[in-house]
Parts: sequence; C-alpha cells; structure tokens
Amino acid sequence: MSDSAVTVEVRDAHVSYRVFEEPAMGLKQGFARGRMRRQYRMIPAVQGVTLDLFERETLGLIGPNGAGKSTLLAAMTGLLPLRSGSIRGRSRPSLLGVSSVLRPALSGRRNILIGGLALGFTRAEVERRMDEIIDFAGLRADIDRPMRTYSSGMRARLRFAIATARIPEILLIDEALTVGDEEFRRLAAERIDDVRSASGSVVLVTHNMNEIRRFCDRVVWLDEGRIRAVGDPAEIVDSYLAAPGPNSR
Amino acid sequence: MSTEAADGSSSADAPIRPLIDLTSRPTARTYLREAWRRREFAIVVPAQDLRAQNMDTTLGQLWHLVNPALLVGVYFLVFGVIIDTRRGVDNFLGFLIVGVVLFHLTQRVTLEASTSITQNMGLIRSIQFPRILLPAASVNGQTAAFVPALALAILAVLATGELPTLRWLVLPAVLMAQFAFNFGTALLVARIGTTLPDLRQILPHLFRLLFYGSGVIFSVDAFVQSTAWRRAFALNPLYDVITCARWCLLGEPVDPWVVAGLVMWCIVMPAIGFWVFHRSEQRLGA
Repeated sequence: MSDSAVTVEVRDAHVSYRVFEEPAMGLKQGFARGRMRRQYRMIPAVQGVTLDLFERETLGLIGPNGAGKSTLLAAMTGLLPLRSGSIRGRSRPSLLGVSSVLRPALSGRRNILIGGLALGFTRAEVERRMDEIIDFAGLRADIDRPMRTYSSGMRARLRFAIATARIPEILLIDEALTVGDEEFRRLAAERIDDVRSASGSVVLVTHNMNEIRRFCDRVVWLDEGRIRAVGDPAEIVDSYLAAPGPNSR
Repeated sequence: MSTEAADGSSSADAPIRPLIDLTSRPTARTYLREAWRRREFAIVVPAQDLRAQNMDTTLGQLWHLVNPALLVGVYFLVFGVIIDTRRGVDNFLGFLIVGVVLFHLTQRVTLEASTSITQNMGLIRSIQFPRILLPAASVNGQTAAFVPALALAILAVLATGELPTLRWLVLPAVLMAQFAFNFGTALLVARIGTTLPDLRQILPHLFRLLFYGSGVIFSVDAFVQSTAWRRAFALNPLYDVITCARWCLLGEPVDPWVVAGLVMWCIVMPAIGFWVFHRSEQRLGA
C-alpha cells in the first residue's frame, strides 16, 4: 500500500498518567514542609506503539483491562499529551466513548440539535436531518422524553446517531457498541461501511470478540502498553483467547 | 446515508492531504475560526437552557425580571432606609439599581461559566468541537437573561426622576466593555473549574468581597478621602463598569483613571482568558 493511503500514523508513542501516591496532605503539614508538594509517580500507559491506519480499514484494538487501549484512542484524538513519539493524521478523529449522556434534562430531540450544532451543522441542516437521525437511533416513540429517562442502550444509540450524523473521516469507537442490541449493531455496521466507502478509517476498541470478528479487517493486540501482535482478526483473536494468565480474558 | 462534503473531507478523488500533527493544539487562529463556524451552538444551547429553567415555578420566565427587582428592593430597604449609606448621592435609588443590576450580571456569568466544562462532560466526550463554545454559551445565556433586568433598571431610573441625556448614548459602549470583561472572566473560571471544582464554592465569597469593594451600595468618593486610595479602586473592573454606567445614566462624577481602568480590563481580560483556555483546551476532556 502506498504512503498516501495512510490516514493515521502513530510513531513510537508513549503516554503516561500521573498518579498521586498518597492522599493530598493537609494544609498544615504542607506548610510545615515549606511547600505544598504531592508525591506522584508516572504510570506508563502506552509504551512505544507504532502503527499505521489505512484508508477503508476497520482496525480492532483488543487487550486486557489496563492495556492502554482507551489511552491510545485519547492520544490519537489529542485529548492526552504524548510523553514522546508522534501521532499524525489526515484530520482530527472523532472519538465515540461510553460517556453517559449529553444533556440529561433535555429531550432526545433537543440533544440532537445541540450535538449537531457542536458538530458544525447549521440549525437548518440539523432540522433537515432530524428525522433521519431519529430513525437511525430507533427512538421515534421516545424522542421527546428527557434523555435521563433513557436506558443505557437507548443513550448509546442516540449518541452514536448524533456523532456520526456527519460521516467522520476517522472514527474511533471505544466500547460504544457493546450496550446496543442486534438491530443497533446492524445499523452501526452500516455507518462503519459509510466511513470506509468515503475513504475513511475506523478503530474499534472492544472486549467482545464477536464484534472484532464481524467488523474488523485487522486487529492489534495491546498488552501493558505495547503491541503484542498485529494481524488477521481470526488468528489474533484465537491466540488472544488462548493466552494464559490474568492477561487473557 | 449520504456523505456530505461540507467540510471537503469525504470525496474519494480529493487530492492527497498532508498528515497533520494530532497531538498539538490548533493555532489560535484555526481554533477561533472553527469556533466561529459553530457560533450557533452558543446561541441555541443557552436559549434551550433558559427555557428549561424555572419551568416548575409558578411565575416561570417572569423570575428573570422579578429576581433583580427583589434584589434592588432588599438593598434599598437595608442600605437606603435602615442603615443610611446615602451620603453624597443625589438619586440613591437610581444609584443602587444601576450598581446592583450590573454587578449581578458579572456574578451570574462567572458562576455559570465556572461549571460550563464540568457540567458538559457528556458532550465533550462524545463530540469534538472547540470547547470555548461552552463558556461562550454561559455568557450569552446569562447576558440574554439580563436584558429584561436592564430594561427594568432603565425604567426605574427614569421613574426616579432622571431624564435621558446625551450621556445615555455612551451606555452601550460601557455594556460592551462589560461583556468583553465577562467573556474573558468566563474563559478563565471555566478553565480553573476543571482542575479545581471547589471554585464554585469559593466564587460566591469572592464576589461578596468584591461587592463591598465595588461601591455597589455606597459612594466610594464620599467614603474614601485619599485620592491615592480612590485611584486604587480603578483597578477593580466592576467598580469601573458601575461607575461609568452611573456617569451615563445619573450624571455621577467619574475619574479618568476609572475610564482607563475599564478600557484596560475589557482588552486584557479576554486576552488572558483566551490564552489560558486555549493553552489547555485538549486536557479539558480528560
């Protein structure tokens, strides 16, 4: 594949979290020591990942809890700073995570409007697409209820419908499909195809191996912040599931 | 589902674009352009929120008017009638109304903006957009809610016997300066509120302190004799706003230093606020 087909290029990326070792000390002690300094340790979450993401590709990202999957996605979006290395891409990716709600007190319909405006639609454009988005979310009957009354599956559908109302060039999905039902997965698959057929790329983080087998062309197995294996979904999933110890599922 | 090429990113035969660094923040210029493109967000969101507010009360939307009226009434009772701080002011009621209403605006904007990021984590984690739109929505919403209070205040000032003069034409400039100052402050507190959620508890006390240092309820000129000390008050942006507005509406005297202070704040504060906010924009979602 030629260089031009790369949509995101990750080079030796390191991301660390700062973790405070002790609870914040009291003011008195802090001043007694002369200055307020809290003890912290840098926890390496991603340690030297190098990866290319290609046009028309859905890449799966698997690994045990704490392997650095979500951290890597956050770094690709620019939400977390790199300690070293580089991440470059064609455009800023859209990250779809497992956050709870947009505006819980407002109805689904108003949430679509607000989300659409944040995405850069004009008000008229959102109004024009409103029905399409509601249908995609499958919420026609419940769209005028406050979003806080929605089930977790309904919220996930609505967020997914809003976030992909404008087909992103690079879509990062962090466990966002897991709570949905079969109907939703089918629609999500359509959206993923839309991204790919527009020469975009999708990264899917999940613990559900069926999702990986179903959606992905290629899989990266992350373990303790490093890439353990890259390749064909069937093969990688098999060896991941067969891997011994606490690091397997 | 169609792929609209509204941002030019979707067509297959587009020329190959160079890769951009995803870990660095966009330049201030790109950032502001993106935010401006989505400016409707900062208008629609507060409009929806204002409509949702006070929905469960009997008076409903009237509260946006009743609240400042009650505020003025209470202060007049306490400081104009019970404890007399009227000395040195001809039209004390007008004096009080202008002070209370304008002070209240900045206080409301600041309090609202301090939680504008933390209250919208769901939106931040779902959608990429310039986060500056969130404090901007707070400023717009509180400013819009303030318009009826302002109209009421002007009517009340007329009722106290003031007649419009040419000076009244300067009032919009003073209010615009206050808006700019409020905007800068909103950006600053929105940023601080993400690392220090305690800010919401601290701010009311800061404002109470500021309240007494802004000459809202008494004339600083009548109470402070030393010229040097009076000039020190010019460093208080809210004192500057209120004093200039009183000059416009009531013909109260204004020191050139106070005007200079207002001009300085309405330029410096948005600059500081934007710098601080833009610098850490990317960490706001984490």
